[in-house]
Amino acid sequence: MILEKFRELKKTWNKDEVKSISRRYFISNGFDGTLTAVGITVGSYLSGVSTGATVFKVAAGAAVGLATSGVWSVWEIEKAEKLAQLHDLEENMLKELEGTEIHQIKKQGRVVNAVASGAGPVLGVLLTASPFLLEGILLNMFQSTAASVLMAVGLLFGFGVYMADISEQNWLKAGLRMGLAGLVVAALNILLPG
Amino acid sequence: MTQIRRLVLDVLKPREPEMIEFTEEISEMECVDGINSSLIEVDEKVRNVKVTVEGEIDEQKIRDKIEDIGASIHSIDEVAAGEKLVEESKTLQD
Repeated sequence: MILEKFRELKKTWNKDEVKSISRRYFISNGFDGTLTAVGITVGSYLSGVSTGATVFKVAAGAAVGLATSGVWSVWEIEKAEKLAQLHDLEENMLKELEGTEIHQIKKQGRVVNAVASGAGPVLGVLLTASPFLLEGILLNMFQSTAASVLMAVGLLFGFGVYMADISEQNWLKAGLRMGLAGLVVAALNILLPG
Repeated sequence: MTQIRRLVLDVLKPREPEMIEFTEEISEMECVDGINSSLIEVDEKVRNVKVTVEGEIDEQKIRDKIEDIGASIHSIDEVAAGEKLVEESKTLQD
């Protein structure tokens, strides 16, 4: 039963439209999550938060919020979009398509889109904040913050390389363009008053 | 009741599933030994397809499957039934 469901979702994932929309949500929300996490980690250090565990807990809270937002908004957006597509198709087919395979695929596509949308920020926030788990063991607060910014830049670079790979762009340029955003957010946090 | 051996159907299907997937799905049915799908007309969102199925055909099951995929049968254009498969014979008008 679970295997069957997994096979169906995999089949849905392989549909070009589902894959491309999911990818977009994953990268876009992953980008948001990563930069939010940089803001939290650098801001926490500059505000004098004294333990890495506290920073990680705050970041985890942000991950929950962003993931919920990602899943919820995409669930509603894709429901509306896919129903509109179905109604449009019904007009062309001159028949109702409720309950048909095409309707099922659209419903499953919405699940895949929502999961990808929620997974992006979870990955972005938790990976970026993860060096703070080592604070007090291997790193101090400054080193944890620096490692967190580096982690974020690396992750953003990875997003850039992935996008370059699917669009056949120069991977180094695309990676650097994305990675730069992490450094910009860190710099803005340092430069902005307060 | 005699056995239907071949059905030729005029089908209107959505753009998705693609022709290959659509044809494979029907070919996987137990009552179908073989299938041919030919594209007749392309529209932005729909495709008009001529579907030929052979085997020990259960017309209702074929109809249900096609409807379930989201397509619809416009007409049954050819039926062959009985002990052996009989091809259409030429007439002077052909």
